[in-house]
Amino acid sequence: MGIILEVKNLTKKFGGLTAVNDFSFEIKRGDFVGLIGPNGAGKTTVFNLISGFEKPSSGKIRFAGIDITGMRPFKIVNLGIARTFQLVRSFKFLTLLDNVTVPCLSNRGKQVSKKLGAEEYASTILASVGLVDKARIPPIILPHGDLRKLQIAKAIGTNPELLLLDEPYSGLSHEESEVLTELIKKLHDDGVTIFMTGHVLRELMALVPRVIAMHQGKFIADGPPKEVANNKILLEAYLGRGGEFA
Amino acid sequence: MSKIYNMTDYIKSWAKTFSGSLTIFLLVILTIFPFLSQNESFIFFFLRHFTLAMIFSIFAASWDFLTGISGQISFGHAIFFGIGGYFCAYLIAFQGFPIWLAIPTGALGAVAFGLIIGIPCLRLRGPYLALGTLAFSLILLKIFLLGSLSHIFFGSEGISYNSGPYPLTRISSNPLIEYFIVFITMIISFIVIFQIVKSKFGTILKSIRDDETGADASGINTTRYKVYAFMISSLFAGIAGSFYALYNTAVNPSGNLGTVISFFAILMASLGGLTTISGSSLGAFFFIFLEFILIEIGASLYVQLIFAITLIIVVRFAEHGILKPIIERLKDVWDVLLGR
Repeated sequence: MGIILEVKNLTKKFGGLTAVNDFSFEIKRGDFVGLIGPNGAGKTTVFNLISGFEKPSSGKIRFAGIDITGMRPFKIVNLGIARTFQLVRSFKFLTLLDNVTVPCLSNRGKQVSKKLGAEEYASTILASVGLVDKARIPPIILPHGDLRKLQIAKAIGTNPELLLLDEPYSGLSHEESEVLTELIKKLHDDGVTIFMTGHVLRELMALVPRVIAMHQGKFIADGPPKEVANNKILLEAYLGRGGEFA
Repeated sequence: MSKIYNMTDYIKSWAKTFSGSLTIFLLVILTIFPFLSQNESFIFFFLRHFTLAMIFSIFAASWDFLTGISGQISFGHAIFFGIGGYFCAYLIAFQGFPIWLAIPTGALGAVAFGLIIGIPCLRLRGPYLALGTLAFSLILLKIFLLGSLSHIFFGSEGISYNSGPYPLTRISSNPLIEYFIVFITMIISFIVIFQIVKSKFGTILKSIRDDETGADASGINTTRYKVYAFMISSLFAGIAGSFYALYNTAVNPSGNLGTVISFFAILMASLGGLTTISGSSLGAFFFIFLEFILIEIGASLYVQLIFAITLIIVVRFAEHGILKPIIERLKDVWDVLLGR
């Protein structure tokens, strides 16, 4: 056990707009943490900064003791952080199997996949998310729920220690959400540290034991969901001022 | 022992597929064709056009590998073609290299340019990459045209048969031998490119094409693979360019480095289907013979115009190649004939 992710005074400015403002938190290995905040709070930017897709204006990010601030995305992946994207992306013209084989061919993925062979190993990952019968199909014709599962399958391919899930429930039906929850829980049970953002608060608050809240790029609260849910600033951020909702 | 067993099985099952049998059929025709007519001059007249089409097949395939498979749009492919040709011509005419050594060395010169162009272009994507490669090719063309640098780059005259102490000959004085050398090189090139595309390395290149950010997020060093793609593509473009220099026994800026050469690569590969490597060959043959026919009927003025119109039509109506729908129809006919 120990601290797997340490974010210190993280700041990101886009011109005049400060998207992330002096944001700090720690996540321990094996944690299951949610990141909440209204639209535009900066959640995806935080994820982009951690995973290397954006460079911070200032601040430090440490993963398992290594300073990964400003490191290139593929290097961060090969250290053990995987992420999914809010807007589902895939290798459109490759089969599902090829989609998952690619991350299994990364340096980190190869260490695990080389025993079975990358394609075989990718097959087992597809099976674990329930997509193996669609292995030869390209993602173009798949429903949204399957594409979200595909993203997670691809993340699994890189054998992550920390998994960043950006709005994984967005656009899912109730049944699809339940399946996804089971999948995420299983990953957590297997030892992966999970850090996820959410907009569908009910599911998220019921799922995670700890929640970090942000608003307008700033840290608001950190604690168990029930506590954070009662935070005044957060309530105002989501619901606006005015006594009728308090 | 088991590897050979798998190979023969694989070839057998490939031969049974429509594209496999079509390919074999065309290869057989290309092999027999030179011996078909008793009238030597008739055959030799056409023979060189087939050779030219095969040279451009390799060139178009090299472009398709970079753009259709790896997703790196190149509008300046003439660079690799032309540098390959110039370097090969220079080595033969001025350094007395034998042909069998000059061609691969010329191709390696093209690969060096693949690195020189590829590395600065790495940050560019999509249309910006296309413009970047186009810009490089225009700059290179201008450099080669400069009179003041003609002592290094031979100026607008270029290198011709007796520019240097050694003669710049054809691949062989016998068009038949020339034909088969190019034919075999084309077959080997296509097999190599196919194997690369089918391999895990090829899958990674395609993933970069389909979603570069996603490939990054999958732990792939996209920069390194893009550089590899440029180098492989420029190798084959350089081979084609070297052959072309020997086909004409001359190189000059507009003929070997001109934008219209880059245009040809795009045109030929697009006609055959952007991601089907073999389609590049069909596209090349189509255009070489279209040009030949146009020149024969005295419409040579309209060649570039008709090519441009064809490109517009292809891009507008047949993103996956005009030949593909035709081939799909033929496939259906094939299935019916075989009673499936």
